[in-house]
Amino acid sequence: MKGQSWTTVSDLLVYTACKYPGKTALIYKGEEISYEQLLVKALRVACWLKEKGLSPGFRAAILTDNPIEYLSAYFGSILAGGISVGLNIQTTPRALSYFLQDTGAQAFMANKRFEATLKQVLTKGTGAEIIALASGEELTDILETGDSAELHLLPWRSSCDLAQIIYTSGTTGKPKGVCLRNRNLIANTMSIIEYLGIDSSDRVMAVLPFFYSYGNSIMLTHIAMGSTLVVNQNFVYPNKIVEDMLKYRVTAFSGVPSTYAILLKRSNISSYSFPDLRYITQAGAAMAPSMAQRLQKLFPETKIYIMYGQTEASARLSYLPSEHLLHKPGSIGIPIPGVELRLLDEDGRPVPVGEVGEIVARGENIMAGYWNAPDATQKVLKPEGLRTGDLARMDQDGFLYIVSRKSDIIKSGSHRIAPKEIEDVAMELRGVSEAAVVGMPDPILGESIWLFITLEHREGIDKKSVMRHLRRILPAYKVPHELRIVEDFPRTSTGKIQKNQLKQLTALN
Amino acid sequence: MSDIKIKIREFIIENFLFGEGGEELKDDDSFLDKGVIDSTGVLELVEWIEDNYQFKIEDDELIPENLDSINNLAAFIAKKTSK
Repeated sequence: MKGQSWTTVSDLLVYTACKYPGKTALIYKGEEISYEQLLVKALRVACWLKEKGLSPGFRAAILTDNPIEYLSAYFGSILAGGISVGLNIQTTPRALSYFLQDTGAQAFMANKRFEATLKQVLTKGTGAEIIALASGEELTDILETGDSAELHLLPWRSSCDLAQIIYTSGTTGKPKGVCLRNRNLIANTMSIIEYLGIDSSDRVMAVLPFFYSYGNSIMLTHIAMGSTLVVNQNFVYPNKIVEDMLKYRVTAFSGVPSTYAILLKRSNISSYSFPDLRYITQAGAAMAPSMAQRLQKLFPETKIYIMYGQTEASARLSYLPSEHLLHKPGSIGIPIPGVELRLLDEDGRPVPVGEVGEIVARGENIMAGYWNAPDATQKVLKPEGLRTGDLARMDQDGFLYIVSRKSDIIKSGSHRIAPKEIEDVAMELRGVSEAAVVGMPDPILGESIWLFITLEHREGIDKKSVMRHLRRILPAYKVPHELRIVEDFPRTSTGKIQKNQLKQLTALN
Repeated sequence: MSDIKIKIREFIIENFLFGEGGEELKDDDSFLDKGVIDSTGVLELVEWIEDNYQFKIEDDELIPENLDSINNLAAFIAKKTSK
């Protein structure tokens, strides 16, 4: 990687498009787009944004399920001096309003599919000056026929400027915007490329959404090296993913534990062999050692990397080198190049080998802070580094093992969900007295969402009406999988709900 | 066939559309394109079909041609239950 002179995240695309103009950057639903074509589309977006007179540092929200549109809008915003904010496509008017207001997005690029949701949000007003493509100029028109600016006419940005905000679930209930500078994302991209050995011959099966940090890092690392992204982010039909893997002879695959659980349990993947598959990565939550073994059996010639990270670290913090997969079961491995990980106690002192401490990270990849949330930033960005909130122990060889998390964030599929957000919505319903949400083990999702409520009275309220209320307000992935109406909760002596006890009792029953 | 379609429509509206907006869903609308079902939703759908029509859906039958619209589902269920 030496000799690369990337300053901004958009340089990754510009340099690759100059080096490999005709090479396929992305394949989606049979359509192939070259690096040169992708850059032209991004420049068209940049030119359109520049014509709107937005000042550098503007926030550009992106809401689309089409990866060609997403990448064009993502790189186009950064080229125009803006900050890209990719939004989860599983959304509701309430969630969308929150993100737009919180970022103060001045530009908004959305696919027509979201027009109805968008209209509801815009009618209510978001407090932000919004340029909504779905209700005026069409994003597709700009991508196909817009003017493309000369690169030198676009604003100069430094490596310290923010490039992207990624929203992640916060313990307080409201999602927090993780602010990533150009240099944070570039440092992490270079590091991942180094330990995975990614090069221009790779074809990665991209199943994870680009608006989350894991999917974002897959996108950036492969764009940087001129690899090809085979995109199918709809995991509804896993056999279609297997078809694409075979058809395009993919060399790489990345997923969260539920991705592999679905592939192993609900697809015909075991009927085929994948001689081109060079590596597999897994992050997002702990993978059971038994599943890692099954994967290695299914792909005997493929390198399997277990990885760990946080959105606050641009994505990646540690990886388990593939040769250690079977004799370091359950480990999240060692720090990635350029990152220092220490286990510290609450006073900031290193804990002895074998004892549990909080993972504290230092490196170029650590975020600038949370958007508009100095107090939350102060809680995690300390002089000693990023306090991850994850508790781990280290073995004699320096390999890390996660023991537990400080927060009660639920990891379900590729999503992180704050219980408080669901509890708050449940409590809005008249008749609900108290609510408690916990994550229960689930063979596919990792954790499923269970909501327990107590009622003030039973008149006019039942499970059905509660679920209808939740579904109306919450995005689909936050809607509880199970709802239980209970008489009371297990409590501490001060009356606080004991969620661990609640989980244990539920597991017993 | 029309009975199956009515039953499927009821299930989809109740479980994925929260009891609202069902009149806009046409029999040949793709659940995927309309954003009606996600990956956990399809597992719920499979479970419902297996419970209600007493047959097992094999892994290689998990494809949009069988499951991705009311029409596709009805034809798939009719074919499987007629064997």
